[in-house]
Amino acid sequence: MRSNKVQSLSFPEHSPAENGPAYSESGVDLTLIRWMLSLTPAERLQTLQQTIRSILRLKGDVTHP
Amino acid sequence: MTSPTPDFFSIFETLSRNKVDFIIVGGICGVLHGAPVTTFDLDIVHSRTQDNLARLLPALQELEAYYRGRQNQRLKPDLAHLSSPGHQLLMTRSGPLDLLGTIGSGRGYENLLPHSDEIEIGHLRLRVLSLEKLIEVKEEMGFEKDKAILPILRQTLLEKRKHRKPDS
Repeated sequence: MRSNKVQSLSFPEHSPAENGPAYSESGVDLTLIRWMLSLTPAERLQTLQQTIRSILRLKGDVTHP
Repeated sequence: MTSPTPDFFSIFETLSRNKVDFIIVGGICGVLHGAPVTTFDLDIVHSRTQDNLARLLPALQELEAYYRGRQNQRLKPDLAHLSSPGHQLLMTRSGPLDLLGTIGSGRGYENLLPHSDEIEIGHLRLRVLSLEKLIEVKEEMGFEKDKAILPILRQTLLEKRKHRKPDS
C-alpha cells in the first residue's frame, strides 16, 4: 500500500508514446496532469508546498531550512 | 516584513483537531484532485452553525489569524465576522487562509456538502469539493482568474475519467 508520507518527490520521465499526446487542443500540458494523478492527495499537497517554497526562496523570502 | 511560508497541512491539522466542519475549495481543492496549478492561499467554506463557529474561533486563535491587507493593524476575526456569508481573508502563522461563508451563487457549507468527497492526508480525513462542482462554481463566478484555470481543471477531470476503473 502506498504511504501518504513522502520525503521527496521527483518529476516523472515522460514517454509520450505510452500515454498519448503531451498537450490538449487548448494547450494544457497533459503530462503534468498525468503525473499529478499518479500521486496521492498528500503527495500532491507536498508538491504544491515544495513549489511555493522554491518560489519564495527564489524571491529571497525564505531561508533554506 | 517577511510573510510566513504556507504550511497547509498545519492549518488542516489545527482545524481538524478542533473538529471544525469545512470543505476545501479553490486552487488547493484543484491540486488535491490532481490539477497542476499553483496557489498561495487556502480557501475553505466553513459551516456557519453556532456549534461549528464555537470550534472555529479557538482554532483561528491557535493559528494566530488576523485580517490581511490592513497594514500594521492586527484585526482578529470574531463570531459576527465568521457567521456572515462573506469572505474573511486572513493571514495565519501557517500562511494565508480564506474563510468563505458562501461561494458562487450563495452556496454555503450545507449546500456544498453533498458535492464533496472525503480524502485522507496522513492521519487526517478532509472534505474537498468535487472536481465537477469546483468547475461549475468557477464557471458560475466567471472572473478572469477563474477562467484562466478552467482549461486545466476541465482537462484534469477528463484525464481522471479516462483512467477511472469501472468499479470505482
